[in-house]
Amino acid sequence: MTDVPVSRIRNFSIIAHIDHGKSTLADRLLQATGTVDAREMKEQFLDNMDLERERGITIKLQAARMNYTAQDGQHYVLNLIDTPGHVDFSYEVSRSLAACEGALLVVDASQGVEAQTLANVYLALEHNLEIIPVLNKIDLPGAEPDRVKQEIEDIVGLDCSQAILASAKEGIGIPEILESIVHLVPPPQDTVSQPLRALIFDSYYDPYRGVIVYFRVMDGKVKQGDRVRLMASRKEYQIDELGVLSPNQVRVDELHAGEVGYIAAAIKAVEDARVGDTITLATAPAPEPLPGYVEAKPMVFCGLFPTDADQFEDLREALEKLKLSDAALNYEPETSSAMGFGFRCGFLGLLHMEIVQERLEREYNLDLITTAPSVVYRVTTLKGEVLYIDNPSKLPDPQHREKMEEPYVQVDIITPETYVGTLMELAQSRRGVFKDMKYLTTERTTLIYELPLAEVATDFFDQMKSRSRGYASMEYQLIGYRENPLVKLDIMINGDPVDPLATIVHRDKAYSVGRALTEKLKELIPRHQFKIPIQAAIGAKVIASEHIPALRKDVLAKCYGGDISRKKKLLQKQAKGKKRMKSIGTVDVPQEAFMAVLKLDS
Amino acid sequence: MSPVRSAYIHIPFCRRRCYYCDFPVSVVGDKPPGGSGAQINGSNSGTIAQYVQVLCQEIRQYVSSGELLQTVFFGGGTPSLLSVEQLNQILTALDQQFGIATDAEISMEIDPATFDLAQVKGYKAAGVNRVSLGVQAFQPELLQVAGRSHTVADILMAVDLIQQAGFTNLSLDLISGLPHQTLEQWEESLEQAIALSPTHLSCYDLIVEAGTPFSRQYKLGNTPLPSDEMAAEMYRTAQRLLAANKFEHYEISNYAKPGYQCQHNRVYWKNRPFYGFGMGATSYLYGERFARPRKTWEYYEWVKQEGRREKAVGEDERVRSQTRVGKPALDLLDTLMLGLRLAEGLDMAWLIEQFGEEAIARLWKCLQPYLQDGLVAIVPAPKDDQLPTSSHLRLTDPEGFLLSNVVLTTIFEEFE
Repeated sequence: MTDVPVSRIRNFSIIAHIDHGKSTLADRLLQATGTVDAREMKEQFLDNMDLERERGITIKLQAARMNYTAQDGQHYVLNLIDTPGHVDFSYEVSRSLAACEGALLVVDASQGVEAQTLANVYLALEHNLEIIPVLNKIDLPGAEPDRVKQEIEDIVGLDCSQAILASAKEGIGIPEILESIVHLVPPPQDTVSQPLRALIFDSYYDPYRGVIVYFRVMDGKVKQGDRVRLMASRKEYQIDELGVLSPNQVRVDELHAGEVGYIAAAIKAVEDARVGDTITLATAPAPEPLPGYVEAKPMVFCGLFPTDADQFEDLREALEKLKLSDAALNYEPETSSAMGFGFRCGFLGLLHMEIVQERLEREYNLDLITTAPSVVYRVTTLKGEVLYIDNPSKLPDPQHREKMEEPYVQVDIITPETYVGTLMELAQSRRGVFKDMKYLTTERTTLIYELPLAEVATDFFDQMKSRSRGYASMEYQLIGYRENPLVKLDIMINGDPVDPLATIVHRDKAYSVGRALTEKLKELIPRHQFKIPIQAAIGAKVIASEHIPALRKDVLAKCYGGDISRKKKLLQKQAKGKKRMKSIGTVDVPQEAFMAVLKLDS
Repeated sequence: MSPVRSAYIHIPFCRRRCYYCDFPVSVVGDKPPGGSGAQINGSNSGTIAQYVQVLCQEIRQYVSSGELLQTVFFGGGTPSLLSVEQLNQILTALDQQFGIATDAEISMEIDPATFDLAQVKGYKAAGVNRVSLGVQAFQPELLQVAGRSHTVADILMAVDLIQQAGFTNLSLDLISGLPHQTLEQWEESLEQAIALSPTHLSCYDLIVEAGTPFSRQYKLGNTPLPSDEMAAEMYRTAQRLLAANKFEHYEISNYAKPGYQCQHNRVYWKNRPFYGFGMGATSYLYGERFARPRKTWEYYEWVKQEGRREKAVGEDERVRSQTRVGKPALDLLDTLMLGLRLAEGLDMAWLIEQFGEEAIARLWKCLQPYLQDGLVAIVPAPKDDQLPTSSHLRLTDPEGFLLSNVVLTTIFEEFE
């Protein structure tokens, strides 16, 4: 790695909607600059996690340093800092953008601007980034570069006369992109002489070297062996390893202002080196940390219980290990009369919840029951105490409550005009308050609603996608708490209240939710030898009830020589299914039942 | 190899496919009735003849375990589409290869309107001594719903011919739980069947198997199928009515006059070995169940391969048995899943001897709830809490039989 003056460093990120070709473009840039040659090129180098590949989204951001000789004959260092592409991780995006001076805005030339892209563009503008519009997939027959250019100009207010027409897949426009980065993105400020301040924009846990921290040096310089301090966590470490990402880790002796790199320093858990924290020198610390650090706050909570009570300790260990690499994950032990011992876990959002759940089951081989997600309610008691309740079963009784508030979010939906009606209907049915509707172009509109987070945290996203045949996109941000007449809906199975099924709903929706939920449970819980009543109640008042009739026959009528193997497999399957159920009293309840409230047809 | 005394022969031809059937069959179409068997099967004689030839070739690839066959069962399909000559060819092959005991039970499934008197007399002369007639129902509309290719008159005619031919051991098959079937119709079918004086009755609660026309037609929720409650009531009705007419309910779906239980089928439920010959047939040799290919040409190919290798003794089963390591728990599950189908149940002393006291104590413990609620019985009842070592363990009739999968699932959960 050659030493490069600050004036020839360019730090940029790529803002794009899922599927608009960010990863492919990143791959092409790495190839075109000879950072990675075609031979070692894995498809989509930046997306490392299996889960990301499967879903085609980037969750964990990464970075890459490229050496580029521009047409002016000068050698430049281009640092690409990737951003995660999901609304659950908008804080991480903001930190990545804070580490850059410019951004490529990549828009699919046949699709147009999507909600998530727009949210990130605004974030980038807030950080004064130079934005270079790139119209990708220009080779596709459906490409309409002029329409999309107009759309970007109308919506974002960016001049698109110089927009680059590209096809990352076909390698079209790549040289132009590289030249634009050099000429349009400003170099970092030369603050090498100031005390060290480096911004952490990502970190991950490596079981052999401890936490690997990715950062951008904002001021000063850092050397191999330096003793550094993390200003928010107040911890100090000796740097074992200092390097750059090209995109594989390559050691260097020193990094100065404007450069991007990584350190390993025997840091035990990522929560000790959180995204947004400032690295400074322990011997000559900067007076102030960099602005913008926020500790990630979980928005959505759920209970995680092992199906088999014997797996409780395994679950604890797995959560401890996951926590090493996921600072946003929160958990504490929870005991439920119905479920036994488990954990109450907090997540940034639903995707984060799903990722954690899936990793626990896949990587740690655990069989889990997940209870329906809950948001954090703010309850003021008659005594004037303010309580934050993340578990419906912990809600104080109505006679002790002065008021109850729930978190609201502003949701921005971008959709083709055709689906406006059905999406408004959806938002309305989820207690949405209409705020605004703007035509972005003649065919595309943005809908702005204020919605209770609890309504968004269920199947809102899936519903939005299915109602718009996948064409609408959305983005949301927390806007505060609002008071509402909320009630706790208890569910009783065979006469026993089942606390993990309790849910908090708006009073006006209690009846319909109660009815739909008891019906759904009737469908999901298999017949037993006895009749099972299922009731929904508010306090002592039963508002909906169903019953599962007793099992009258379950028999293999024919079992002769040729049937035996197949019938046996059937019984094995049935036994396996039963093993995965949770026994609540004398009733075996399948895993899906605990998520039933998310799958109501209402 | 433990002595094998039973052989199943699959005859995969049918005039048409019944709507509930998922057996490997080859449909040969309707034939003009009357005339000799050869005439009935005229246009397909080529197909069936070729099959019989390959079948006999398969039989000749096996060597005997040294025991005579005590039971032979021709199942289908419709074995009565075989000519007497073809049946003789198969029985000759079996006799030459293994030897058939003089008092062996030789059963044959036959269907109404597929045979005449000469043919059924010919079967008897060839050695068949037990016939199982596929009746299913006595109501024209239900026969039609089930996709049967015969009428009620054909049933009466068939029984008459069978009796004229001198058969004394006759079994009738009935199905309960058919689409649109009422409890009254089911009772009527039972009464009509009883009136024909069979020695044996099989009463099957309809299973809608995947891939059958029924399963495509009757999706869950929107179906003319009787409710579970009604199907259970039909089951109880059969049990009550047949008991009153001196039939013993000796297996979940089978009833017999004393001395007329199907010896061949008992081999399955006792988890004993048997040969299986023909397309789709399963054999149980060397402790391995092996299913032959279910497509005609694949089966032919498989027989050819087997012949070319000149490895005669159920090679597939033998190879498989060598690759498996001890699976006593699985054998226990097979034994229980099959043995508990019989009213006599299983002998505790024998179970302990076969599978060890520890496993059977575990079994005993996990069955306690069902002994309490009366799905499982132990006879005679033990006097103390100790593991009963000289009683029979069985499912109760009818409730234990009706919920047998509940009991079996619990056992599977315990041992897997």
